[in-house]
Amino acid sequence: MRIPYVTGSGRALWVTFRNFFRRRVTEGIRPQESREKRYKASFALVHNDKGEEACIGCDLCAKICPSAVITVTSAGKRVSPVDGKKRGYCEDFTLDLQACIYCELCVQVCPTDAIVMLRVQEEPGYSREDLVLTMDKLYANGREKPLYWGKGSLLMEMQDPKRSRLSPPEPAEGAS
Amino acid sequence: MSSPLHEQMPWHRRAPGTERGSRRPDPHLDLGKYDPEADLMALNMGPQHPSTHGVFRVKMFLDGEVIIKAVPYPGYLHRGVEKLCEKLTYIQLTPIVDKHDYVAPMTNEQAINVAIEELVGVEVPRRARWLRTILAEMQRIASHLLWLGTFTLDIGGTIGGGASVMMYTFRERELILDCFEALTGGRFHYNTHTVGGNRHDVPSGWDAMVKRAMRTIGARLSEYEAECSDNEIFLMRTRNVGIIDQYLAMELGLTGPNLRASGVDHDLRRDEPFHAYDEIDVGVAVARSGDCYARYQVRMAEIKESVRLVNLLIDGIPTGPIAALRGAKSPIAIKAKSGQVYSAIETPRGELGTYIIGGGDQKGAAAYRLKIRPPSLHAVAALPYALVGHTISDVVTILGSLDPIMGEVDR
Ligand code: SF4
Ligand code: SF4
Repeated sequence: MRIPYVTGSGRALWVTFRNFFRRRVTEGIRPQESREKRYKASFALVHNDKGEEACIGCDLCAKICPSAVITVTSAGKRVSPVDGKKRGYCEDFTLDLQACIYCELCVQVCPTDAIVMLRVQEEPGYSREDLVLTMDKLYANGREKPLYWGKGSLLMEMQDPKRSRLSPPEPAEGAS
Repeated sequence: MSSPLHEQMPWHRRAPGTERGSRRPDPHLDLGKYDPEADLMALNMGPQHPSTHGVFRVKMFLDGEVIIKAVPYPGYLHRGVEKLCEKLTYIQLTPIVDKHDYVAPMTNEQAINVAIEELVGVEVPRRARWLRTILAEMQRIASHLLWLGTFTLDIGGTIGGGASVMMYTFRERELILDCFEALTGGRFHYNTHTVGGNRHDVPSGWDAMVKRAMRTIGARLSEYEAECSDNEIFLMRTRNVGIIDQYLAMELGLTGPNLRASGVDHDLRRDEPFHAYDEIDVGVAVARSGDCYARYQVRMAEIKESVRLVNLLIDGIPTGPIAALRGAKSPIAIKAKSGQVYSAIETPRGELGTYIIGGGDQKGAAAYRLKIRPPSLHAVAALPYALVGHTISDVVTILGSLDPIMGEVDR
């Protein structure tokens, strides 16, 4: 056997040997909590600070969605029972997670910050219908699951051409 | 003639820098005129071969074990991206083009947005240009690391354990994906660029995170070299294998590391600066021999250079806005009623060009025609030349060294 084989192999094996003592990176699945703050996985609709459903059925998110997976049925405008102002309501809202490409554009366009993303994934389902998020599921997500950092107004503020701040608007920990 | 001892084949292992046209294999070789005594065999590699980096078929005609003709058949991954891009509006394109070169999505986004910006005439703010440059360089490192891992896996692993280099490079690539995740929230399909700038500004602590990743990657490069280029077996498998000479590389339209490995000093980052490349000095790695080892050398040098550039850029990000236009609220926010533009940027694989004719659907908010010029398609076109004269065991080495991404070839 020629000498280069031996020395070359020895050097390569030395690298392998050193990696024995490095921190293991393939151990288990990374927990959701240790994900970065901006990690986005699923969707939710939220209630506004007055406790009303924030979605006004304006259809903007359905229009911008590149995969066309959002369907919005507007319920028209009526007087809000909470503060007496006239506003739109949404009758039905579905988001088909199977073709969603997580582009975040629907979050960006929402004028009332109603649709936001979640830090946790949806549970896997047994049928295709399980991955279609209905309005009820989305509002339940908004109540129960951890929301991610962003919302429409934040994303818009970051892209403001007049902004001169160095750091982005950082939401408080666990912002909702 | 059909001896498996292919080293005795007279036209095997051509010397680098051969004269133009001389001894260059004929890709349209007429098999009817081939030696009638020979024991020919047709062999299909792919479309579901694990080493074809996607769904790809090469039909090879063998004389014994030596390839005398190779015909690549791309197209199995065709998804009609160009047509889809004509139907969607400019705002919606960014997340779509993420998917055609799925190893370097960041640079895809940049390519299409640079083209649209040129079409509608938007000036990108300086901060966004710097951010784009950093992201492009990080994507280059991630892409080359993935290439190194899969390439060494293709040639049968290296000494020190079958897939060890691949495990190590994927571990380091993860650091970059973590940085991307911290910036955009996505690990692979980011949608962080938009027409006129970027969508996500850097979070606090991001620069420290990037620097940490760069330090680790920079320190580990010598380990990859110990496993690869210090290794006699690796050298034997890659040296003088799959030579593409300078003229052939230029005739085929190869770009990126494949072209530079053939001795052509051409890099869009330096020659036609986009983003913020006109403000920095980019070192361009060139190798002369044009074989698989040269392509390895060029890519390793590019990782080193990119680590240097990221470290340089991350300290100097200017302040200011990251977008020239307000965030899009409707898909028809950007319109181009007419005009056409071709613009190209240097991705990890070479020149990714986008040709757009404006004035399509939705009152001009979509392209009338959009054509993508993928660098990988040209790399695949080199196969009929590069494979001839080599044995079957060299096919995956040559194919892997060209680093084609089939999602990009077929679009
Ligand atoms: S994130 Fe999903 S649902 Fe929202 S716009 Fe993108 S593809 Fe549509
Ligand atoms: S989620 Fe937002 S954008 Fe979508 S319909 Fe409701 S209010 Fe409009």
